[in-house]
Amino acid sequence: MKLRIEAISVLSPTIRRFILAADDGAPLPVAGAGAHVMVSLPGETRSWRNAYSVVSGPGMRDHYEIVVRRSQQSRGGSAFLHERAVAGDRLEVGLPQNFFAPSRIAGRHLLLSGGIGITPFLSYIRTLHTPFELHHCCKREDTPAFAGLLPSGATNIVLHTNREELNFRTLLAAQKLDTHLYCCGPEDFMNDAFGAARHLGWPEAKIHRESFGGVVSGAFFTVHLKKSGLTVQVRQEETLLDALEAAGLEPPSLCRGGACGECELPVLAGIPAHHDHYLSDSRRAKNDAIMTCVSRAHTSELVLDF
Amino acid sequence: MNLNLKPDETFRGDFSTRNSDTAILRFPFPFHDDKYMYAVNLEPHVRGGPTAAYDAIFDLDEHYIGECRDRALTLAEDPLRCQVLPHMIEAEWDTLELLMESLAFDYPEHFTLTKSGTDRHWVNRPLGLDRNFTFGDASSLPLPPFEYITRQVQGDFTLHDQRENTLFMDGGMVTSQADWSLNFDLGMTFHEWHGPVPVAHELGVFDRALAYLMRLPYGKPVRRLNWTLTVHPRLDTSPETYPIWGPDKATITPANVGAHMCLRVELQTLTRLPRSNAILFGIRGYLIRLDELVRVKKWAMRLHRVLRDLHPGIAEYKGTSRYRQTIVDYLGAFDDGSIISPGTGSEQASLREVTTA
Amino acid sequence: MIKSRPLYRPFTLDVSGRAHLVVTDQPELPEMVDLPSVDLEIFTVQTVSSEIEAPVDGNRRAFHAVVDLLAHLPRRLANDKIGLRIYAIGTEAFVWDVHNIARAAGLGSAEIHLTHAGSLRRRVYCAHCKTMSEDVTDNIVLCPGCGASLLVRDHFSRRLAAFMGVKVDAEIPGEIPAAESLYQ
Repeated sequence: MKLRIEAISVLSPTIRRFILAADDGAPLPVAGAGAHVMVSLPGETRSWRNAYSVVSGPGMRDHYEIVVRRSQQSRGGSAFLHERAVAGDRLEVGLPQNFFAPSRIAGRHLLLSGGIGITPFLSYIRTLHTPFELHHCCKREDTPAFAGLLPSGATNIVLHTNREELNFRTLLAAQKLDTHLYCCGPEDFMNDAFGAARHLGWPEAKIHRESFGGVVSGAFFTVHLKKSGLTVQVRQEETLLDALEAAGLEPPSLCRGGACGECELPVLAGIPAHHDHYLSDSRRAKNDAIMTCVSRAHTSELVLDF
Repeated sequence: MNLNLKPDETFRGDFSTRNSDTAILRFPFPFHDDKYMYAVNLEPHVRGGPTAAYDAIFDLDEHYIGECRDRALTLAEDPLRCQVLPHMIEAEWDTLELLMESLAFDYPEHFTLTKSGTDRHWVNRPLGLDRNFTFGDASSLPLPPFEYITRQVQGDFTLHDQRENTLFMDGGMVTSQADWSLNFDLGMTFHEWHGPVPVAHELGVFDRALAYLMRLPYGKPVRRLNWTLTVHPRLDTSPETYPIWGPDKATITPANVGAHMCLRVELQTLTRLPRSNAILFGIRGYLIRLDELVRVKKWAMRLHRVLRDLHPGIAEYKGTSRYRQTIVDYLGAFDDGSIISPGTGSEQASLREVTTA
Repeated sequence: MIKSRPLYRPFTLDVSGRAHLVVTDQPELPEMVDLPSVDLEIFTVQTVSSEIEAPVDGNRRAFHAVVDLLAHLPRRLANDKIGLRIYAIGTEAFVWDVHNIARAAGLGSAEIHLTHAGSLRRRVYCAHCKTMSEDVTDNIVLCPGCGASLLVRDHFSRRLAAFMGVKVDAEIPGEIPAAESLYQ
């Protein structure tokens, strides 16, 4: 869907908040706690699709709120949003999807975030019905920006500007049996937290991190089709199946999610990158078949018997 | 859509329900080919399909009032047919919102939903309901939100919480099921509640289906069909009432098989719910007597071949052993053995009259 | 094997845990339990000794009855911290009762280990009247609630800690096969 940037606020030199809404003010699809949207952004050499947590929570259906940090090396998405985007611009925004939903059976939630990793928890704290405790670590200069995003005066929300004062071991050892742990932040921050948790006997089912395991985009590749004699280019963010259909072909398909087996095509040359749940390990190893709806290529070219 | 609602129908006792010609032609016949085997037959659930049963996200038809009444009768006798575990409260509201918005969109002459902030005004004209309530406030409804809305929709529904790399059946409204018990299966994982199904586990069908469903996106529901055979158009064929409907299975004869035996098809839909991240599983059942079904030439021939050649394990699981041969003999009279095209559509604009058998 | 039928493992210590609580419905831990050297807290049931005070000996505690043990368990778990592992050893109904109490206290399936020991007798849930029959050893049992002769299936509900029983002669009333003692 196309959404308009309604407003931009500068929270710090590197952090901005964007309000996105439909042109006609129509209600937006619900974004649950922890959900993100994929936003397509023009870059210098190519376009980018970045995932941003919807911090406004499911109660808001007249707009989405996202908070974006300009990443240092960015040539793409966040640079565009910080340097070129202005109110009134229209952006292509996907439906909210959720790879980081809070546990519904947890009696308590312990939320640990570092830097911009706080964004999924902003929707959590608006919706959780069960007790939670949020510890957020950030640079001293970013404190006002994050404090402004959080409710003031809450005793279960603590900002830390010094990593040392947040002792994961002590905090995690004190948690009751029905607590679930959620962590979002820099890789070393998460590794420290999860390492401490595992050492203390936390089971994996109670340790949550955002996972984008479902993404099937990948490198550009070319397929040569033997029977039809066509050559089809598969762009980074489209599936092989989509590309075949866009070329006017009618390849078999059903579930479009790698489960049913309907879209299998024989591979004559090249090595497929299998992302499906259908082919057995031994079939995969033969590299003589590909499920076009989710799988891609390890080689720059594939030849299919189609 | 004009539903031509029938005001008074029964699905027990005298079984007064009948399918009109329209209802027969819109039946979601399940067999694409002459042979049946389990498969992950999931496909995107978009409006439109081989018959009119696919035209709405949640399909209603002429039996709406009678089926809602039959559900109420079952719940009055056995309240545990509707249960939702407490941690699924957000999924209850998700369900209520989805069903109300879908019905109001697809059937505006029968249902109206008006929204202002969290205030809602819901009008269900066929059942004569008019209710103001506050979204998110369970005390503003006469029943818990999931039960309130699923009493107003045809078909069973279950709610599935996603955790620990599987789906848990943590709620449901189950009053028209093909012999499974919500009270027994509540809280089970995906593989546990499918436990009794033969053959499919070995084919890896459930592993693949689960992997797919775990990644089911919001806004992209999927559907599949399932089927069984039922004596009489009885909605409530549950384990709970097996002593009531079980004896019917021994009553099928060549003389009554056409009028008493029904093909039961479930149009199953799976939808990701946004607030709870749960999955709503809709199981919309359709019952058609064989003497209604044979009025579509292709369906009579295809059902004959499928049942004649059915895998013995599946035939046993579906409880058909007492009458399968009687049905095959009955349908055989309508099958000249000619080749019929793949697909499930009726390929007839109107029904033929059938006098034989 | 039906997929709802649980699989059990012999007792082994879960070394990822920080503390360990072993509960059994028997007077002593079965011999197959090879006790490791770490500190274990152990709950047992000694029904024979109802006239004497149940002994509390350090980390060992004996209850007079299974119901007493099950009633105490939630209190024992209420204030514990993550890192605990619980091990239940006994009949299927017992270990799943323990499992469900542990789940309610917040433990997940990876923190609960079940070992089947002793009798194969089953708790059976009547699909028709919802009455439970305890200690069923035959494959056909008369339901004390509705009087139906129930065929005991392998379909198992962890929530109810019971096997499903369905009327064996529902289709042809009176046609009841002879029962077999399958679950001694």
